Amino acid sequence: MSIEKDVVSRAIKGDGGAFAQLYEEHFDKIYRYIYLKVGNQAEAEDLTQEVFVKALEAISSYKWRNLPFVSWLFRIAHNQAIDYLRKQSKVEKVAWDNNVTRVDEPTPEVIAERSLEVEELADNIKKLPPAQRDVISLRFGAELSIAEVAKALGKNPGTVKALQYNGIAALRKMMLGEG
Amino acid sequence: MARKIEDILDNCLERMFKGESIEDCLKDYPGQASELEPLLKTSAVFIQKSAAIKPAPEFKARARPQLQGLLYAKREKKKEKIPIWHRKWAVAMTTVLVIVLVSVGTVAASTNALPDEPLYSIKLTTERARMALVFSDVGKTELHIQFAERRAGEMVEMARQGKSDKVLMLTEQVAKHSAEVCVAEEAKKGEEKEPKLLVPAPTATPAPPREAEAYNEKDAKELKIVLSQSRTESLDALRNALDKAPEEVKPVLKRAIENIAKDYDRTISIIESGSSP
Repeated sequence: MSIEKDVVSRAIKGDGGAFAQLYEEHFDKIYRYIYLKVGNQAEAEDLTQEVFVKALEAISSYKWRNLPFVSWLFRIAHNQAIDYLRKQSKVEKVAWDNNVTRVDEPTPEVIAERSLEVEELADNIKKLPPAQRDVISLRFGAELSIAEVAKALGKNPGTVKALQYNGIAALRKMMLGEG
Repeated sequence: MARKIEDILDNCLERMFKGESIEDCLKDYPGQASELEPLLKTSAVFIQKSAAIKPAPEFKARARPQLQGLLYAKREKKKEKIPIWHRKWAVAMTTVLVIVLVSVGTVAASTNALPDEPLYSIKLTTERARMALVFSDVGKTELHIQFAERRAGEMVEMARQGKSDKVLMLTEQVAKHSAEVCVAEEAKKGEEKEPKLLVPAPTATPAPPREAEAYNEKDAKELKIVLSQSRTESLDALRNALDKAPEEVKPVLKRAIENIAKDYDRTISIIESGSSP
């Protein structure tokens, strides 16, 4: 049995120490993925914590399917991010319609604390079509292999490679101000 | 066969994730270098910037204890949580246990009940249940013998208390059980096709309620006649059955005949002494 499988098996049986180990190991990757999808540090932090809370609630029903455990976490993270973005798009629409300031507009203090480049990166990724955005977030944010991304998204590896190529090409254009 | 540009790009990205440079990768794909280079440069920027994306240290410091709290709460909940089927099973078992204890206690208490006591009906019900649960003829015969003895014992006690109506009722019961023993044995021998009472139950005139303290002379005389007649008929029936009974039942039947005879004698003796001036 692999080390990860052993840790996951113990976590399934209710070993809090094993779950804490998985938390420490994967928190940053999940955070990075969510950040690249939502582009907001505070929201990404809260959503990442929610991913682990949900994982803790559901871990007893987790079934090992020869996939890295992190794929399961990314699936939860993906759903969390989608829900968040869906709610955001509704809120933004209402705010825009009422000619009110956007509710997710970061305050000047927050802007000052952030690395502009990182925020720009996230903003550019958010402009990609959803399929390309998912692939780029998982590939660069979570550093999953093409095979792992394919399994996590339920797509074949060839499709994922094509989405990756088109996504990087689109980001290149945005960086050059052509997008 | 020429590789697709998507495959080459992915191969180079994997190498860059492991620390190789753009130049190392381009050397291996000179034919695609012009197309590949800008994409790899963009990717290098993304790899570098992505690595810089980290949650704020103060957030992690806050989030970790929160998760530990949830882990602790989950562990405590798990300790307390009894599976639903366990709870249902426990309730069912407790209910059954209470019923059994109450029933066993009541049945046990009713074993010594006398005909004028509230638990006597439970005693008779239990006897009927026992009879219904026995399927062999021998078993049924043994139970009839046992119950005839019981009734005879109760008859003595009722006579002692001066309750002649109960004494009469019990003589009927003894006779009835004795007759059942006899019928069973006759049936086994094939001498009788239809079960019938060989010994008719004593047709004693229902006795009016009487005082328990003592018997007047007239009552005592009538009672003695009924008892003597019942004794003769019941014992005759049992002796008749004894001749035809299987060997395993014979010792039980012999002892029952002796006990029932003694009980009749004792009852008659009590009535005689109770009627003495």
